[in-house]
Amino acid sequence: MSETSLFTEDILKAARTKAQRIIEDAQKELEHATQEAKAGISKEASDIVRNAQGEADAVKRRQTSEARHLSKLQEQQEKNRILMEVMDRVRKRVIDATKNNSVYVPYLTNQIEGGIKELGYDTAVVHVNSTDLKTVNRANVERDVAKHLGQQVKVEWAKEPIEAIGGAVISSVDTRTRIVNTIDQKFEALESTLLIEAGKSLFGH
Amino acid sequence: MSGIEAVKVIVDAEKEAARILADAENQATQIRKRIDSCIQEERTRSLDAAKKEAAEIVQRAEEEGRGDATNVAKDAEKNVHDLVSNASAKKDEAVEKLVGIILQVNK
Repeated sequence: MSETSLFTEDILKAARTKAQRIIEDAQKELEHATQEAKAGISKEASDIVRNAQGEADAVKRRQTSEARHLSKLQEQQEKNRILMEVMDRVRKRVIDATKNNSVYVPYLTNQIEGGIKELGYDTAVVHVNSTDLKTVNRANVERDVAKHLGQQVKVEWAKEPIEAIGGAVISSVDTRTRIVNTIDQKFEALESTLLIEAGKSLFGH
Repeated sequence: MSGIEAVKVIVDAEKEAARILADAENQATQIRKRIDSCIQEERTRSLDAAKKEAAEIVQRAEEEGRGDATNVAKDAEKNVHDLVSNASAKKDEAVEKLVGIILQVNK
Protein backbone atom coordinates (compact mmCIF):
# COMPACT_ATOMS: atom_id res chain seq x y z
CA MET A 1 0.00 0.00 0.00
CA SER A 2 1.32 3.42 -0.96
CA GLU A 3 2.03 6.09 1.60
CA THR A 4 -0.82 8.16 0.21
CA SER A 5 -3.23 5.31 0.72
CA LEU A 6 -2.02 4.81 4.27
CA PHE A 7 -2.40 8.53 4.96
CA THR A 8 -5.95 8.73 3.59
CA GLU A 9 -6.77 5.56 5.54
CA ASP A 10 -5.60 7.29 8.75
CA ILE A 11 -7.66 10.41 7.94
CA LEU A 12 -10.83 8.35 7.44
CA LYS A 13 -10.17 6.14 10.48
CA ALA A 14 -9.70 9.22 12.69
CA ALA A 15 -12.90 10.74 11.27
CA ARG A 16 -14.91 7.56 11.92
CA THR A 17 -13.58 7.27 15.48
CA LYS A 18 -14.45 10.89 16.20
CA ALA A 19 -17.88 10.46 14.59
CA GLN A 20 -18.59 7.44 16.79
CA ARG A 21 -17.56 9.38 19.91
CA ILE A 22 -19.85 12.27 18.92
CA ILE A 23 -22.79 9.90 18.59
CA GLU A 24 -21.93 8.00 21.79
CA ASP A 25 -21.67 11.29 23.72
CA ALA A 26 -25.11 12.30 22.48
CA GLN A 27 -26.54 8.92 23.48
CA LYS A 28 -24.95 9.16 26.93
CA GLU A 29 -26.41 12.63 27.27
CA LEU A 30 -29.83 11.22 26.36
CA GLU A 31 -29.54 8.38 28.88
CA HIS A 32 -28.27 10.67 31.64
CA ALA A 33 -31.04 13.23 31.10
CA THR A 34 -33.67 10.47 30.98
CA GLN A 35 -32.37 8.85 34.19
CA GLU A 36 -32.27 12.19 35.96
CA ALA A 37 -35.82 12.96 34.85
CA LYS A 38 -36.98 9.49 35.92
CA ALA A 39 -36.00 10.20 39.53
CA GLY A 40 -38.20 13.33 39.54
CA ILE A 41 -41.03 11.58 37.74
CA SER A 42 -40.85 8.66 40.13
CA LYS A 43 -41.18 11.02 43.10
CA GLU A 44 -44.16 12.71 41.41
CA ALA A 45 -45.78 9.31 40.81
CA SER A 46 -45.12 8.25 44.43
CA ASP A 47 -46.73 11.47 45.64
CA ILE A 48 -49.85 10.73 43.56
CA VAL A 49 -50.13 7.21 45.04
CA ARG A 50 -49.40 8.42 48.58
CA ASN A 51 -52.02 11.17 48.30
CA ALA A 52 -54.50 8.60 47.00
CA GLN A 53 -53.75 6.41 50.02
CA GLY A 54 -54.46 9.35 52.29
CA GLU A 55 -57.67 10.13 50.41
CA ALA A 56 -58.67 6.45 50.59
CA ASP A 57 -58.17 6.40 54.39
CA ALA A 58 -60.24 9.57 54.68
CA VAL A 59 -63.00 8.10 52.48
CA LYS A 60 -63.19 4.97 54.66
CA ARG A 61 -63.13 6.99 57.87
CA ARG A 62 -65.84 9.33 56.56
CA GLN A 63 -68.13 6.48 55.50
CA THR A 64 -67.86 4.63 58.83
CA SER A 65 -68.08 7.88 60.74
CA GLU A 66 -71.28 8.85 58.88
CA ALA A 67 -72.73 5.40 59.56
CA ARG A 68 -71.87 5.71 63.28
CA HIS A 69 -73.35 9.21 63.41
CA LEU A 70 -76.56 8.02 61.74
CA SER A 71 -76.76 5.08 64.14
CA LYS A 72 -76.29 7.40 67.12
CA LEU A 73 -79.08 9.62 65.79
CA GLN A 74 -81.40 6.62 65.39
CA GLU A 75 -80.51 5.44 68.89
CA GLN A 76 -81.18 8.92 70.28
CA GLN A 77 -84.52 9.11 68.45
CA GLU A 78 -85.56 5.76 69.93
CA LYS A 79 -84.49 6.89 73.41
CA ASN A 80 -86.43 10.14 73.03
CA ARG A 81 -89.49 8.26 71.81
CA ILE A 82 -89.37 5.93 74.84
CA LEU A 83 -88.71 8.84 77.23
CA MET A 84 -91.64 10.81 75.82
CA GLU A 85 -93.88 7.76 76.10
CA VAL A 86 -92.85 7.30 79.74
CA MET A 87 -93.39 11.01 80.48
CA ASP A 88 -96.89 10.79 78.94
CA ARG A 89 -97.67 7.77 81.06
CA VAL A 90 -96.39 9.56 84.17
CA ARG A 91 -98.64 12.53 83.43
CA LYS A 92 -101.65 10.21 82.98
CA ARG A 93 -100.77 8.31 86.16
CA VAL A 94 -100.50 11.55 88.13
CA ILE A 95 -103.84 12.74 86.72
CA ASP A 96 -105.34 9.38 87.73
CA ALA A 97 -103.80 9.80 91.19
CA THR A 98 -105.67 13.09 91.65
CA LYS A 99 -108.90 11.07 91.36
CA ASN A 100 -107.82 8.69 94.11
CA ASN A 101 -108.59 10.47 97.39
CA SER A 102 -106.49 8.16 99.54
CA VAL A 103 -103.42 9.19 97.50
CA TYR A 104 -104.32 12.71 96.47
CA VAL A 105 -105.76 14.30 99.61
CA PRO A 106 -102.61 13.62 101.69
CA TYR A 107 -100.57 14.98 98.79
CA LEU A 108 -102.70 18.12 98.53
CA THR A 109 -102.52 18.57 102.31
CA ASN A 110 -98.73 18.36 102.13
CA GLN A 111 -98.57 20.93 99.35
CA ILE A 112 -100.80 23.34 101.27
CA GLU A 113 -98.85 22.78 104.47
CA GLY A 114 -95.54 23.35 102.66
CA GLY A 115 -96.87 26.50 101.03
CA ILE A 116 -98.16 27.95 104.30
CA LYS A 117 -94.85 27.18 106.01
CA GLU A 118 -92.95 28.88 103.22
CA LEU A 119 -95.31 31.84 103.17
CA GLY A 120 -94.84 32.39 106.93
CA TYR A 121 -98.11 34.28 107.52
CA ASP A 122 -100.84 33.56 110.08
CA THR A 123 -103.49 33.70 107.37
CA ALA A 124 -103.18 32.07 103.99
CA VAL A 125 -105.42 31.92 100.96
CA VAL A 126 -105.51 28.51 99.28
CA HIS A 127 -106.36 28.31 95.57
CA VAL A 128 -107.28 24.91 94.09
CA ASN A 129 -108.88 23.72 90.87
CA SER A 130 -112.63 23.41 90.35
CA THR A 131 -112.73 19.66 91.03
CA ASP A 132 -110.90 20.04 94.34
CA LEU A 133 -113.14 22.95 95.28
CA LYS A 134 -116.11 20.62 94.94
CA THR A 135 -114.73 17.32 96.26
CA VAL A 136 -112.07 17.97 98.86
CA ASN A 137 -113.16 18.01 102.47
CA ARG A 138 -111.65 21.38 103.36
CA ALA A 139 -112.25 21.09 107.10
CA ASN A 140 -110.26 17.86 107.22
CA VAL A 141 -107.45 19.41 105.21
CA GLU A 142 -107.35 22.46 107.51
CA ARG A 143 -107.29 20.19 110.56
CA ASP A 144 -104.45 18.05 109.18
CA VAL A 145 -102.43 21.10 108.11
CA ALA A 146 -102.75 22.63 111.59
CA LYS A 147 -101.81 19.30 113.13
CA HIS A 148 -98.69 18.97 111.01
CA LEU A 149 -97.64 22.56 111.47
CA GLY A 150 -98.27 22.39 115.22
CA GLN A 151 -99.95 25.82 115.21
CA GLN A 152 -103.26 27.35 114.33
CA VAL A 153 -103.27 29.01 110.93
CA LYS A 154 -106.25 30.65 109.39
CA VAL A 155 -106.93 29.14 105.97
CA GLU A 156 -109.18 30.89 103.49
CA TRP A 157 -110.25 29.04 100.35
CA ALA A 158 -110.33 31.14 97.19
CA LYS A 159 -113.67 30.91 95.42
CA GLU A 160 -112.16 31.27 91.94
CA PRO A 161 -110.70 27.94 90.78
CA ILE A 162 -107.24 27.77 89.26
CA GLU A 163 -106.33 25.99 86.02
CA ALA A 164 -104.21 23.08 87.20
CA ILE A 165 -104.14 19.29 87.22
CA GLY A 166 -103.98 19.38 91.00
CA GLY A 167 -102.10 20.81 93.95
CA ALA A 168 -102.57 24.32 95.19
CA VAL A 169 -101.43 27.92 95.06
CA ILE A 170 -101.00 29.38 98.53
CA SER A 171 -101.00 33.15 98.71
CA SER A 172 -101.03 35.98 101.16
CA VAL A 173 -104.42 37.66 101.67
CA ASP A 174 -103.43 40.52 99.41
CA THR A 175 -102.20 37.87 96.86
CA ARG A 176 -98.88 39.70 96.49
CA THR A 177 -96.95 36.68 97.74
CA ARG A 178 -97.74 33.38 96.08
CA ILE A 179 -96.31 29.91 96.57
CA VAL A 180 -97.17 27.77 93.54
CA ASN A 181 -97.39 24.14 94.58
CA THR A 182 -99.45 22.83 91.69
CA ILE A 183 -98.73 19.53 89.96
CA ASP A 184 -98.27 21.41 86.70
CA GLN A 185 -95.55 23.49 88.30
CA LYS A 186 -93.89 20.35 89.66
CA PHE A 187 -93.80 18.87 86.16
CA GLU A 188 -92.25 22.05 84.83
CA ALA A 189 -89.73 22.48 87.63
CA LEU A 190 -88.75 18.83 87.73
CA GLU A 191 -88.67 18.18 84.00
CA SER A 192 -84.90 17.80 83.75
CA THR A 193 -84.76 15.72 86.96
CA LEU A 194 -87.52 13.47 85.66
CA LEU A 195 -85.75 13.01 82.33
CA ILE A 196 -82.45 12.19 84.05
CA GLU A 197 -84.11 9.72 86.42
CA ALA A 198 -86.08 8.15 83.57
CA GLY A 199 -82.86 7.84 81.56
CA LYS A 200 -81.14 6.13 84.47
CA SER A 201 -84.00 3.69 84.97
CA LEU A 202 -84.56 2.95 81.28
CA PHE A 203 -81.06 3.03 79.84
CA GLY A 204 -78.91 2.41 82.87
CA HIS A 205 -77.00 5.71 82.91
CA MET B 1 0.83 7.94 -8.75
CA SER B 2 1.88 11.40 -9.61
CA GLY B 3 2.11 14.16 -7.00
CA ILE B 4 -1.04 15.84 -8.25
CA GLU B 5 -2.95 12.56 -8.13
CA ALA B 6 -1.74 11.99 -4.59
CA VAL B 7 -2.93 15.43 -3.46
CA LYS B 8 -6.31 14.78 -5.13
CA VAL B 9 -6.69 11.48 -3.27
CA ILE B 10 -5.85 13.16 0.02
CA VAL B 11 -8.29 16.03 -0.61
CA ASP B 12 -11.05 13.52 -1.44
CA ALA B 13 -10.27 11.60 1.75
CA GLU B 14 -10.50 14.81 3.79
CA LYS B 15 -13.82 15.64 2.14
CA GLU B 16 -15.08 12.16 3.03
CA ALA B 17 -13.82 12.61 6.58
CA ALA B 18 -15.64 15.95 6.82
CA ARG B 19 -18.85 14.33 5.52
CA ILE B 20 -18.54 11.52 8.10
CA LEU B 21 -18.17 14.08 10.90
CA ALA B 22 -21.05 16.19 9.59
CA ASP B 23 -23.26 13.08 9.49
CA ALA B 24 -22.26 12.25 13.04
CA GLU B 25 -23.05 15.77 14.21
CA ASN B 26 -26.44 15.56 12.53
CA GLN B 27 -27.13 12.22 14.18
CA ALA B 28 -26.07 13.64 17.57
CA THR B 29 -28.39 16.62 17.09
CA GLN B 30 -31.28 14.26 16.30
CA ILE B 31 -30.49 12.23 19.43
CA ARG B 32 -30.44 15.38 21.61
CA LYS B 33 -33.73 16.52 20.09
CA ARG B 34 -35.24 13.27 21.33
CA ILE B 35 -34.33 14.04 24.98
CA ASP B 36 -37.39 16.20 25.68
CA SER B 37 -39.82 13.88 23.95
CA CYS B 38 -38.29 10.82 25.69
CA ILE B 39 -38.65 12.51 29.09
CA GLN B 40 -42.20 13.59 28.25
CA GLU B 41 -43.08 10.04 27.18
CA GLU B 42 -41.58 8.62 30.39
CA ARG B 43 -43.43 11.20 32.47
CA THR B 44 -46.77 10.52 30.77
CA ARG B 45 -46.33 6.75 31.12
CA SER B 46 -45.31 6.87 34.78
CA LEU B 47 -47.90 9.42 35.86
CA ASP B 48 -50.71 7.68 33.97
CA ALA B 49 -49.81 4.44 35.74
CA ALA B 50 -49.70 6.25 39.09
CA LYS B 51 -53.08 7.91 38.47
CA LYS B 52 -54.60 4.56 37.54
CA GLU B 53 -53.20 3.00 40.71
CA ALA B 54 -54.47 5.97 42.74
CA ALA B 55 -57.97 5.66 41.30
CA GLU B 56 -57.99 1.93 42.11
CA ILE B 57 -56.86 2.61 45.69
CA VAL B 58 -59.65 5.17 46.24
CA GLN B 59 -62.27 2.95 44.59
CA ARG B 60 -61.20 -0.03 46.74
CA ALA B 61 -61.40 2.18 49.84
CA GLU B 62 -64.90 3.34 48.89
CA GLU B 63 -66.02 -0.28 48.54
CA GLU B 64 -64.39 -1.23 51.86
CA GLY B 65 -65.87 1.86 53.49
CA ARG B 66 -69.35 0.93 52.26
CA GLY B 67 -68.84 -2.57 53.65
CA ASP B 68 -67.66 -1.20 57.00
CA ALA B 69 -70.56 1.25 57.09
CA THR B 70 -73.03 -1.57 56.42
CA ASN B 71 -71.52 -3.57 59.30
CA VAL B 72 -71.69 -0.55 61.59
CA ALA B 73 -75.35 -0.04 60.63
CA LYS B 74 -76.16 -3.73 61.25
CA ASP B 75 -74.47 -3.67 64.68
CA ALA B 76 -76.23 -0.42 65.52
CA GLU B 77 -79.60 -1.83 64.46
CA LYS B 78 -79.09 -4.77 66.79
CA ASN B 79 -77.96 -2.45 69.60
CA VAL B 80 -81.02 -0.22 69.15
CA HIS B 81 -83.25 -3.28 69.09
CA ASP B 82 -81.69 -4.52 72.37
CA LEU B 83 -81.91 -1.03 73.86
CA VAL B 84 -85.61 -0.72 73.00
CA SER B 85 -86.28 -4.21 74.28
CA ASN B 86 -84.46 -3.61 77.60
CA ALA B 87 -85.99 -0.17 78.05
CA SER B 88 -89.48 -1.43 77.30
CA ALA B 89 -89.11 -3.96 80.10
CA LYS B 90 -88.24 -1.14 82.51
CA LYS B 91 -90.95 1.35 81.51
CA ASP B 92 -93.39 0.44 84.33
CA GLU B 93 -90.63 0.73 86.92
CA ALA B 94 -89.58 4.12 85.50
CA VAL B 95 -93.16 5.41 85.50
CA GLU B 96 -93.60 4.43 89.17
CA LYS B 97 -90.35 6.12 90.09
CA LEU B 98 -91.26 9.40 88.34
CA VAL B 99 -94.79 9.44 89.72
CA GLY B 100 -93.20 8.99 93.16
CA ILE B 101 -90.89 11.95 92.53
CA ILE B 102 -93.79 14.20 91.48
CA LEU B 103 -96.11 13.26 94.31
CA GLN B 104 -93.51 13.26 97.07
CA VAL B 105 -91.82 16.58 96.41
CA ASN B 106 -92.03 19.01 99.37
CA LYS B 107 -93.44 16.22 101.48
